[in-house]
Amino acid sequence: MKLTEINVAHMTTDKANGMTDSTVWQAQTQQRLFRLLLDAFAYPGRLFDATGSGTTARLAILATLLDAEVDLADPHKLVAREDWLRLMAAAAAPEQARFIVADAARTPDFTPAPGSLESPEFGATLVLEVRQLGAGKPLLLTGPGIASQTRLAVQGLHPAWIEQRAEWVSAYPLGADIILCDARSFAALPRTTQIVWEEG
Amino acid sequence: MNTTYELPLDEAGYAFGFMDEYAKKEVRRTILKAICIPGYQTPYASREMPMGRGFGTGGLQLTLSLIGSDDTLKVIDQGADDSVNAVNLRQFVQMTCPGVDVTEKTEEATLIQSRHRIPEKPLTEAQILVLQVPYPDALVVVEASEARRKTMHGEADYSRLLVKLYEDLVKFDEITISHRYPTRVHGHYIIDPSPIPRWDVPKLHQSKALILLGAGREKKIYAVPPYTIAEPLAFEDVVFRVEDFRDASGNRRTCSRCGASNSFLDEFSDEADGEADGKIYQCSDSAYCDEQLARQASAYQKPKTEEAA
Repeated sequence: MKLTEINVAHMTTDKANGMTDSTVWQAQTQQRLFRLLLDAFAYPGRLFDATGSGTTARLAILATLLDAEVDLADPHKLVAREDWLRLMAAAAAPEQARFIVADAARTPDFTPAPGSLESPEFGATLVLEVRQLGAGKPLLLTGPGIASQTRLAVQGLHPAWIEQRAEWVSAYPLGADIILCDARSFAALPRTTQIVWEEG
Repeated sequence: MNTTYELPLDEAGYAFGFMDEYAKKEVRRTILKAICIPGYQTPYASREMPMGRGFGTGGLQLTLSLIGSDDTLKVIDQGADDSVNAVNLRQFVQMTCPGVDVTEKTEEATLIQSRHRIPEKPLTEAQILVLQVPYPDALVVVEASEARRKTMHGEADYSRLLVKLYEDLVKFDEITISHRYPTRVHGHYIIDPSPIPRWDVPKLHQSKALILLGAGREKKIYAVPPYTIAEPLAFEDVVFRVEDFRDASGNRRTCSRCGASNSFLDEFSDEADGEADGKIYQCSDSAYCDEQLARQASAYQKPKTEEAA
């Protein structure tokens, strides 16, 4: 048997146009999206484009990371019913959930799970949807993954999120990790990133 | 790898990358948390792989969860691309990930899985280094209980580890750790950086590439993110130092193959061609050694072709 003869189950691609609504549920798309997410967390504040997934950045991120093993809180009812079924994640309260998806224009009305000293990985991951990334008021970022300092411009992020987050991450290694997204792109803010609004 | 062995084919066949998508997702979620908490040994399920634990299954699970058909993979075992562990793992990835390119050249790779070495050539932001880890916890030498170690890590309580290093100094006038040198990441967690020699430890500091470490048997994944502080544990008055490869008369030994005097050297016994003590030295990083040789060959050939013209 030659190497090429192995039947690779998921590689039978959608012949229609490859960019149907179902693309984001395919393993190959999720692998590509994961590598973008990986780069986003490794290099906080950099913008990554999720348009190749054929859906919104928000759903692309959720589809890449979630399955029946984890739970999701959706306090602002952003996820459609049919997507809930496909994500397979159990619904949970924002205080307990491993993943939280929220509208960043509103003020945060919950405290995400911070993890524990022994198991800080149970600190929640927040997917916050803003109006636009790459435009608007700049955040100044420093910390691991950033050579010296970087800027991330955000439009439609309620300042209370940044204030609250400072409290959530104040007892390192405990904390919550944030992915900011707009319709097409995303950037990550791990708990180790120090964030201030740029003056002026 | 046994070349006559064939993966069993059922109707569905194997997924790209051998692992099922749920297993990959779990590894992927773990990787992201490992990056968010630099140096923290993040637990994960560590699936059964079709090779024994201890043969790089932790690194392999990371590689298979990361890899896509547009990746170029390099696999290193103790610096060399052609030793048995590297060949096995590379063949396995080639068999289960159709479309993936493999290379021996460090600069061509987008994904590098390595056992016990970091390449000599500096890595870039476009690369990810995956290190295979046998023993992930630097505290295991001073505390047997994992529950207690987890608390110590959380509190960044490493006093007993420092005492251990101090005892070394008292007994031997030197910290005697040759590899797996305890290294503090982002000012908090101390990691076992896998059995890389001291020579490679400074490469963890402010690396341009993301470095992921996977321990399959111990079911842990941890990370040294890019542009992150990684300091080998030392004392104010006893600084960390790397191997210097000096001979008896104080000269820096060179590679007997390519002549490099700036690489990590392996020592071999060779009665015929060796030095007076029957030892011979060669670059541990075979790709680096080959590159030096190729450069010398092209420098040698250039004047020749000019002559011919």
